[in-house]
Amino acid sequence: MLSRRNFLKTSALGAGAMSLAPSFNQLFAAPSGVGTGIPKRFIFIRKSSGLVPSENALMNLSAKDKALDDAKQPFEADLSKHELPKWLRGLDDHKENMTILQGLSAKMSENVHYSFSSVMGCFKSNRNTLSAIKRTTIDFELAKLFPSPFGHVELSFADGRTGIVSGYSAPAPQTRNYCYADPNTARSELFKSVLNPDAVNSDNDMLAFLQGKEGMKDSGFKGHEVKRQEAQVESIDKIRERNKKLISISRTLADFLPTLDPVHDNGGPDASTPEKQAAMTDVLIAAMKAGLTNVVTYTIDDLGTPITGLPGNETDRVGIHPLGHDEAFGGVPAWMTREQIRISHMNQVKTIVEKLKATPEGKGTMFDNTMVMYFPENGETHHGIGTEAPFIIMSGKNCNLNIAGRYIRLPFLGNEGHKTLGNWYTTLLNAHGNPMEHYGDLDLEMARKKLSQTGAIKQFMA
Amino acid sequence: MKSVRFFAAGFTAILQISIAELAVADEKLASAHVFEVPENAEAILDRYCYNCHDEEMQKGDIQLDKLSGLEKPKRLDLLNRMQEQIYFQHMPPKEKKQPSEEERKALLAVISKELGVYEASTLEGKLQKPEYGNYIDHQKLFSGEYKDVPAYTTDRRWLISEFIFNAKFQRILGNQTTIGDKGKKFSVVGSKKLQGVSLANPFLLPKTVGVRYYANEDLTGGHLSSMLTNAQDVSKFITDVQVPKSKGKYLPAIMEIIAMEEAHTATITSRRAFLQSHIERLCEELYGDLNKAMLPTFVPVVLQPLPELKEGEKYKKAPMNVSTNMLESLGAAPLVYHTLTDSKFASMSDDEFRAYCERVWFYRGDHERTIQSRMALLREYVPDFRGIAVEQLKRHKKIDYKPLADDEMAAIHEAIQKHRKKGYHYNTLIETCVDDWQQSFAKERKDAGPPSPDVLTKLASQLSLLMLEREPTSEENADYVELTRSYVDKLGQRKAVQKLIQTILLSSEFAYRSELGAGEPDKHGRRMMSPRDASYAIAYALTDQSPDAELVAAAGSGRLNTREDYKREVERLLAKRNVRSLIDPVLEDKSWAENSTDMPIRELRFFREFFGYPKALEIFKDEKRFGGDRLDQATNRVVNEADRIVEHILEKDKNVFEELIGTEEFYVFHDGNNEAMAATSDRIKRIYEYFKDKDWQNFNYEELARHTDFLRKNPMRSINPDNLKSGNRSGDGLKLFKKSLTSITARLDKGQKDAAPFDMYRGYGSDFMTGENVAMLWGYSKDNWHWSANQPAKVPNRKGMLTHPAWLIAHAFNTETDPVHRGKFVREKLLAGSIPDVPITVDAQIPEDHNKTLRSRLAMATENKNCWHCHISMNPLGNTFEMYDDFGRFRTEEYLEYPEHLISKRPDESKDRNHLLDLRDIYKTLQVESSGHLAGTRDKSLDGDIKDAVDLAERLSKSRVMRQSFIRHAFRYFMGRNEFLSDSKTLIDAEQAYIENGGSFDAVIVSLLTSDSFIYRKPIEN
Repeated sequence: MLSRRNFLKTSALGAGAMSLAPSFNQLFAAPSGVGTGIPKRFIFIRKSSGLVPSENALMNLSAKDKALDDAKQPFEADLSKHELPKWLRGLDDHKENMTILQGLSAKMSENVHYSFSSVMGCFKSNRNTLSAIKRTTIDFELAKLFPSPFGHVELSFADGRTGIVSGYSAPAPQTRNYCYADPNTARSELFKSVLNPDAVNSDNDMLAFLQGKEGMKDSGFKGHEVKRQEAQVESIDKIRERNKKLISISRTLADFLPTLDPVHDNGGPDASTPEKQAAMTDVLIAAMKAGLTNVVTYTIDDLGTPITGLPGNETDRVGIHPLGHDEAFGGVPAWMTREQIRISHMNQVKTIVEKLKATPEGKGTMFDNTMVMYFPENGETHHGIGTEAPFIIMSGKNCNLNIAGRYIRLPFLGNEGHKTLGNWYTTLLNAHGNPMEHYGDLDLEMARKKLSQTGAIKQFMA
Repeated sequence: MKSVRFFAAGFTAILQISIAELAVADEKLASAHVFEVPENAEAILDRYCYNCHDEEMQKGDIQLDKLSGLEKPKRLDLLNRMQEQIYFQHMPPKEKKQPSEEERKALLAVISKELGVYEASTLEGKLQKPEYGNYIDHQKLFSGEYKDVPAYTTDRRWLISEFIFNAKFQRILGNQTTIGDKGKKFSVVGSKKLQGVSLANPFLLPKTVGVRYYANEDLTGGHLSSMLTNAQDVSKFITDVQVPKSKGKYLPAIMEIIAMEEAHTATITSRRAFLQSHIERLCEELYGDLNKAMLPTFVPVVLQPLPELKEGEKYKKAPMNVSTNMLESLGAAPLVYHTLTDSKFASMSDDEFRAYCERVWFYRGDHERTIQSRMALLREYVPDFRGIAVEQLKRHKKIDYKPLADDEMAAIHEAIQKHRKKGYHYNTLIETCVDDWQQSFAKERKDAGPPSPDVLTKLASQLSLLMLEREPTSEENADYVELTRSYVDKLGQRKAVQKLIQTILLSSEFAYRSELGAGEPDKHGRRMMSPRDASYAIAYALTDQSPDAELVAAAGSGRLNTREDYKREVERLLAKRNVRSLIDPVLEDKSWAENSTDMPIRELRFFREFFGYPKALEIFKDEKRFGGDRLDQATNRVVNEADRIVEHILEKDKNVFEELIGTEEFYVFHDGNNEAMAATSDRIKRIYEYFKDKDWQNFNYEELARHTDFLRKNPMRSINPDNLKSGNRSGDGLKLFKKSLTSITARLDKGQKDAAPFDMYRGYGSDFMTGENVAMLWGYSKDNWHWSANQPAKVPNRKGMLTHPAWLIAHAFNTETDPVHRGKFVREKLLAGSIPDVPITVDAQIPEDHNKTLRSRLAMATENKNCWHCHISMNPLGNTFEMYDDFGRFRTEEYLEYPEHLISKRPDESKDRNHLLDLRDIYKTLQVESSGHLAGTRDKSLDGDIKDAVDLAERLSKSRVMRQSFIRHAFRYFMGRNEFLSDSKTLIDAEQAYIENGGSFDAVIVSLLTSDSFIYRKPIEN
């Protein structure tokens, strides 16, 4: 593993690149896999309205383990020997890759209804504002380690928006990412150099003009100002070069271009939720297979996402917020609809896992190098308090972690050995080449009780 | 006369060697180069360094005797570290034998030469950073020895700050921000919120304590990339929103270019809206009885049957507010409410109503799924919607049939008749017509040809004036025109305009503020800034806005050419009070109303950044340890009140530095308006006086109703005197009355003269000020708070900004105090001292010991031989602040907050919501030791042992070094760079101005901004 100091030295260029405005990460990040062999890939799937720990519990735990689980005491169970809860059963064939991680806390991020950028940045802000964004979110930190033409891609169904809208991930403090809010936009933007090369070219005309203008300026500058001028011209040149590269690889990209049903045109106002999710998942997989990105954050819903066409509520439009308050639609009890929503999420996870498993890479498949993490943005319930923040993780065999195939319950918050979201993210970073001592804010209850809480979760490190 | 520039004492020549080497460095030379430590350097290393850093002993993992054999990256890294240690005289350690100045120079020359070969030296860059400003010898700066050296600042371009970025876009987009403060609204500048666009600010300043905005940052690819996105958003917003909204008043050339397209868009929008409202009627008029036959065959949607619930299963139907919102989001609200309130349909049954709606939606061509969702909603909620339909008409007004102009109606009729086919849904027909119109309009625009050169010239001129605030040169104009024409060819007119806007926004002139010398040089080769550059330099010194009208006029009329001209304008801006500026960007995000000032914002911001107290907003703290709720609001309040006391001292402008360090008066839960605060307090006092001798605790409704007249004249929050059974979710009128009076009584029954004007009970919304828990930060108990309406007022156990809770929180950890950084602050900011960087090998941790105070634990970690030579400069100062905890609360005892020391557990949340209670758990304590030692004032009457932080503040407030230290930082803030010995006169003059004007900070600013250091510029060759 790199020492922290060496890491800072070697990653300086990458860090600078990733602090750029989101839509330009593509211009500065290095091509996928250069110098690093096969990259690792990370897919963060954010869900809203909490993930209730008891709903993730295995069905046939021994009495002893069940007692531990109910009492939130630490233990582990082998998934292959247990039955998954109904909503997870779509992943029965992939239990060897699955981890049900219970007992992480997330009090240092926002809770109650929303977390905005906090859940992936481990900070408290009490508001969805730029000044509240305290640090680069974990997805962007990982993206620095595995550069790609787009660096990082954010997809979102939050609030039922369409087009390119503001996201929740943060490439740098006080900076907000942009995200693609419907499958068609995601497809056209990610594969823009294939679908609309003129748009990329027109930027280059402007840059050429600027480059000429700045370079030829007879300003009488001397000393450092001359260097400044040169550096600026070089910067412009770099952007032009990257644009040209995007155009040049467009032929290869065309092979991966996903086909979408016309129902997704113009933001897809008439597409059902399962259709939208399936299409977005297709774009996500295509972008990964094309090597456009190695890190995707996918806000699969938030409290404002309109939901239609769910099994059981096929002809209803349902709201996640009312469902969180047990208010129901179409005669179907709220808990059933909530479960169905989670099942629809798992269908996406299943598709990702299976399609990547079907794609050869190196001596194995793309999935071997991929982690999919499904988690709540706000903790354990609709009005989360952050004492628990469960994660469902699907990881390939090269993912540098020793967690697969297990149900893991960690010590509860405020107890020796408890782990926070910050510990989990530190684990991801440490396991993949960033030796950061600790990612994120500390938990104040652990601090008050003077319990150790920094660093990676050692038992998870491979 | 001394020669040119002066860096830290004695080493200028060495640095020049290093810099000179940069010029000759090239790849060829570097590749052929072999590094050997020369004999003289080897001998010096042997004499002073190898004892601790050779093969036998490698202190700090540093070995120096194998330098020549190291691989290049390791060698350059080590040489850079050596260079710093020798230059700053950190090595050899003080207690060891020291090399002579000549020996240091010789060693530095070798190091610097080798680093120069590869352009690898990092020292020069460091010396330009604010945190290294104090390395210039303080005594020499103020001794007068260098006051005859001519001062100047180099010709430079200074990258705009995050604040200037906001101000520029506010101005360009014509945004006006208003903020509200207890019912009043007023306009402010400095907001970062832009209506209609969301921009990423690439010019964010570092979040350090001290001077944050320096002229040593370069425009990088990162800035440029962010600006590309920003420019795209802004250009689109200008052409698509701003220009059409202003009807051509804003950037009229754009309107001229896009006028035809705008007219076409307006026509299509109008036709489409008309058709969407009246298509059925139009078709019936055109086709009569045949119309129905032209429609598609009705196919009803199928709904999922309502499932039967299992035994014991509960079903809670979504409430009305959810269903009405859903109806809106499904686009069904207008038809539903219009039909339900139409007398024609009054006799319709629910089923008939549903069937009617479904047919309307079907023929219109709404998607089957959307109709399904609407029908599913109607299946359950029609009776509910009937109940609110009339009320909903306010939101969904009926649209009466009003034909468009005759030619428009003719065009519509023609299009319908041309395109309608049997089986078309109405929406299909409308969109087919719209497509046809769009195509014909596009052709019309193409036939009209590109914009004329005249219009493009006007466009370039208007854009340059708006964005760069100057007319373009003729050459620039020609370039812009040619470029725009090429854009038009490729992208069309609107997008071409957008591209030109982007081009100008991306020019370096937009991102840099230019400060270049112009005109004839004086005998020292210095030139004054051009009047235009000077106007910006002065404006940006005091505000974030571009020069105001007077400054522009002065620059344009030859009245910004002398030192006196500068003085006149600076004094005018300092006295200006007709612009309100937002103070804190974080508080703006929190919509904190009392967040503005009418003094020049950069004057106040200097002290905010110098003290760094706004960082308190970012320290995440535990409400349980705080002992109350809404800590966030208390923190907002305390930072805001720190601003207020600084503003108060600056407005008085007498002995400013001494007051800031030594004042005993503060604002505590006060908005600065004594009159208004007294009036609010008096109202509470009247209520207290009226009821205090009555048995109000046992009132029933009838008994309280007897006091209706009084309550009408003296309203209490959420209590309706005429309906005591009404109220809010906290209770009815009677309950709220008792809650309020309990709180009011606690505020006045212990002999308090005034009543703190906070909410009477916990609830939502407020007519009063929020953040009353600020009291707890100052050590006041809310039920025994002798709050004063007349402030600032004396607060016990406090003296100056360093004892203000905002500063103490900002200089604390999440759960502990931070004596080291508090001490570092005093040493560097107030005593002009410097602390070396933490050695890379040091893992700075305070050890745990459950039976010791933090001070004792810190001593365990730092009072050893290796650490103490740095910590001696910090701990004896920082320890004095141990009289306050990490929330800034005064204390004499320190809690040992470990589970085994818990004495009394208090509830995490008060059951009866009595927010007067302190919910902190009680732990065993140890006595706090806050004594310390002051050294470094260079004044024997002040240096020495000190009792605590109040004693420290008292002595610092009398210190000349403190005053000079403020002035040095003010220099850096207003000049955007570190001071050199050549700036000695500027600093001496500023101090003199301060003294002669009774401690006026305004006088310091005037002195600095009229100094040679500010007004003269000189090019640097390399």
